[in-house]
Amino acid sequence: MAAGGLKKQQRKWIFLLLTPALLAILTFTTIPALTTLSYAFFHWQGFQRLDFAGFENFQKLFQYPFKDQLLNSLRHNVLVFIAIYILQTGLGLLVAYALFTMTRGQRFFRTVTFLPVIFSLVVVGYMWQVLLDPYYGPINKILNDNGFENLAMPWLGSTTTALPTLVFINLWRWVGFPAIIFLSGLNAINSEYIEAARLDGATEGQIFRKVMFPLLAPSMTIITILTFIGAFEWFDLPFVLGGSNGNPAGATDTLALMFYRLSFGTVDSGANNVGIGSALGVLIFAIVGLGAYFGSNIMRKREVEQ
Amino acid sequence: MKIASIKLRALLASAVAVSAIVVPAISTQSANAATEITFWSWRTEDKAFYEAQMAKFEAKTGIKVKFTPYLNTEYNAILATALTAGKGPDVMQIRPYGGMANLSDAGNFLALTTKDVPALAKLSPGILAGAQGYKTKSQFGYPYAVSAMGIFYNPELLEKAGVGALPSTWAQLLAAFKKVQAAGIMPLGNAGGNGPALEQLHATVGPTFYGGTQFFNDLVAGKKTFTDRAYIASLQAVKDLVPFMPKGFEGIDYNTARGLFANEKAAFYIGGNYELGYFRSLNASLPVEWMPAVSKATGSAKYVGTWADGAFGVNAKTEQKAAALKLVNFLASKEFGQAMADEIAFIPTAPLVKITDPVVSKINKYRTAFGTPFLNVVGFRYENPTSSSILQPGFQKLITGATTPAQLAKDVQTAVATWHPGQKGKS
Repeated sequence: MAAGGLKKQQRKWIFLLLTPALLAILTFTTIPALTTLSYAFFHWQGFQRLDFAGFENFQKLFQYPFKDQLLNSLRHNVLVFIAIYILQTGLGLLVAYALFTMTRGQRFFRTVTFLPVIFSLVVVGYMWQVLLDPYYGPINKILNDNGFENLAMPWLGSTTTALPTLVFINLWRWVGFPAIIFLSGLNAINSEYIEAARLDGATEGQIFRKVMFPLLAPSMTIITILTFIGAFEWFDLPFVLGGSNGNPAGATDTLALMFYRLSFGTVDSGANNVGIGSALGVLIFAIVGLGAYFGSNIMRKREVEQ
Repeated sequence: MKIASIKLRALLASAVAVSAIVVPAISTQSANAATEITFWSWRTEDKAFYEAQMAKFEAKTGIKVKFTPYLNTEYNAILATALTAGKGPDVMQIRPYGGMANLSDAGNFLALTTKDVPALAKLSPGILAGAQGYKTKSQFGYPYAVSAMGIFYNPELLEKAGVGALPSTWAQLLAAFKKVQAAGIMPLGNAGGNGPALEQLHATVGPTFYGGTQFFNDLVAGKKTFTDRAYIASLQAVKDLVPFMPKGFEGIDYNTARGLFANEKAAFYIGGNYELGYFRSLNASLPVEWMPAVSKATGSAKYVGTWADGAFGVNAKTEQKAAALKLVNFLASKEFGQAMADEIAFIPTAPLVKITDPVVSKINKYRTAFGTPFLNVVGFRYENPTSSSILQPGFQKLITGATTPAQLAKDVQTAVATWHPGQKGKS
C-alpha cells in the first residue's frame, strides 16, 4: 500500500515536471508540424489558403523546376553531412583526446576551442566574407603575395569551391562542440580500465582505439544524430553567406533554403508558393525524423556499458 | 464565506463593466490627442531621410509616424507574416508588380481610389500597373518612383584610356572595353557573385537584342516565347561581357562590384539609376556620367529598361485609415518627390518635380524617350517559378560556362509555361 502510494506520488511528480516540456513541444513542434502537413494539401494564393489540392503540391515538387532544385539541394545536404561527420567529428575527437591528455593549460585550450561556437553567426559570416573577398580579402592577398596565385580564387563565388568553403567555415565554428562532448565522454571513462590496459602493456594508440573509443559510443551517438539533423536542416550559414538562392548558381542551396524560398518568396525573384513549400517541409521532416530514429537505434546497439 | 464570495464576484463584475466603458473612452481620448501610425519599409539605407520627412509630416499634421525599416532580404517575409496574422503597419512600402501582388490579391492592402489619393490620377497606366493586383487588378498603392537601367562611366578613366567618342553600338562598346583593358584599366565593375545584379545587367543590354517593348508585348500575349532566337541573342550578350569583368568575377559580390566603379578602379558599371546614390556614398567626388544602353547595330533601336520601383500602400485592417491616407498623400506630394530626387537620387513619379542632379536628369530624359519594361519584373514575377528565379542562378551558370544561352532560354520557358496565361503549355 505504502509502495503503491509512493508510485502514485512519483507519477504525479513526473507528470508535473514533464508538463511544461510537453506543452512546449506540443505548441512549438507537434502543432506546427501537423499544420504544415495540412498546408501541403491545399492551393494557396500568397498566404491565403484556397481549395483542397490533394497530392498536387507533392507532384509539383517532383516536377521541373522544383525537382532539379530539390535534387540539387538534397545532394548538398548529403555531401555536407558526410563532410561534417568525417571532418568535424574526426577533428573534434582528436582535439578532445589532446585536451584529455593535457596536463597543463587544459582549461585555456578548452575555452579557445569552444569560443567560435558562441560567436554570433552573422558576425562569423561577415568576418569570413571579408577574409575571403576575391578582390580585397586578405586570404587571396597573402596567396598572391607569396607566389601562390593559382590558389587565389573566388572561394565563395565559384560553384566548385563555395560549398567546401562553407563546410570549412562550419567546421571552424562548430568543432568545439563535438570536442567538448567527447571530452566529457573521455572524462567519464573509469580510469581503472585505462590503468589496467597500461599494466597489460597496451600502447597509447591501442588504449585509445580499444578502450576509449568503444566507451565513447554514447557520445558518438549524440554527435551523429545532432550532425545528421543539423546537416539536413542546414540553413543559417548558407543563408548568411549565399542568400536564400544558394549563391552562386545554387551551389550552396540546401533543403531548408529551398523551403524558405518557396514559403516566403524572395526579394529579387518574387512570388512564394506555400503549398509546395509545405510539401517540402513535410519531406524534410520525414527525412530528419526517420533518419534520426533509425540512426539512433543503430548507434545505440553498439553502445557498451562501463 | 459564500456571501463574501458572491460580494467579491459582484464587485469584480462591476469593475470589469466600468473599465469596459471607461478604458476605451480614455484610449480614444489619448488617440485623438496624439495619433501615432506605423510605417514599414525595406530602405534601411534611407532611414535618416525618411525620419526627417516624417518629422516634417508630423509638424504639418500633428500625426506621429513610427518609421521602421527592415532588412531588404527579410522584408517580404516579415510583412507577409504580420499581415497574415492580422497585424502589420498602417502604411507600408510595397514591392512592385508581382513582388507583392499575392498579398494584394489576398485583400491585405486597402484598394485606393483617386478620391483617397488624388495624385493617382496624374500617373500613367504603365506606372499605375506597378501597384495593381494580379488577379483582382485593384490599385493597392501609390507607385512612388521609377527606375531606369543604363551604363555609368567614369569620363576621366575613359580619357586616360584614349576612348574619345562614347560607344553607340554593341561593337563599339566592346571595342571601348578592349581599349580600356589595353590601357591597364578594368573595363567593367559588374561581376557574377550576385544573380539579381546579372539579371539587371541583362535588363540593360538585352532589350536591343530581343526588340524591347514589342517583344515584351508578344511574350505576354503568347505570340513569342523565351526560346525565340532574338531572346537567346540577348542572353549571349551577357556572356560576351565576361572577358571585361574583374578578375575572379564569379565570386565578387554586389557591393564589391559597385565599389570597384565607385572607387575609380573600373571605367564602366551597368545598372540602375539607384546605384548612383551608392556610388556617391562611397566616393562623393566620383567623376560619373551616364549613357543609355547601346543599340545592337547602327540604326537599331535603343532601349532603356524601366519599371515602377515600389509603392506606398495602406493596411486594409488599419484602425487609423484617415491618418494613414494622409501620410500616403504626403508621400505622393510634389514636396516629398522633390526631396526623393534631391536627397536620395530617386526618379519620383510625382509630377512637376524638378530633377536638379544632371546625371539623374539625363537618365530620366532617356527613360522617357527609350523606356521599355523590365521584362521579368513587369511581366513574369506573379507566380512561382518566376522567370527571375530561373534566370538569376542561370546567368551565374552562363557566365561560368555551366550552361548555354539556348539552354537557359529553354529552362525559363519551361518554368514560365507552367503558370503564365500567355505561355501555358508552350515550349
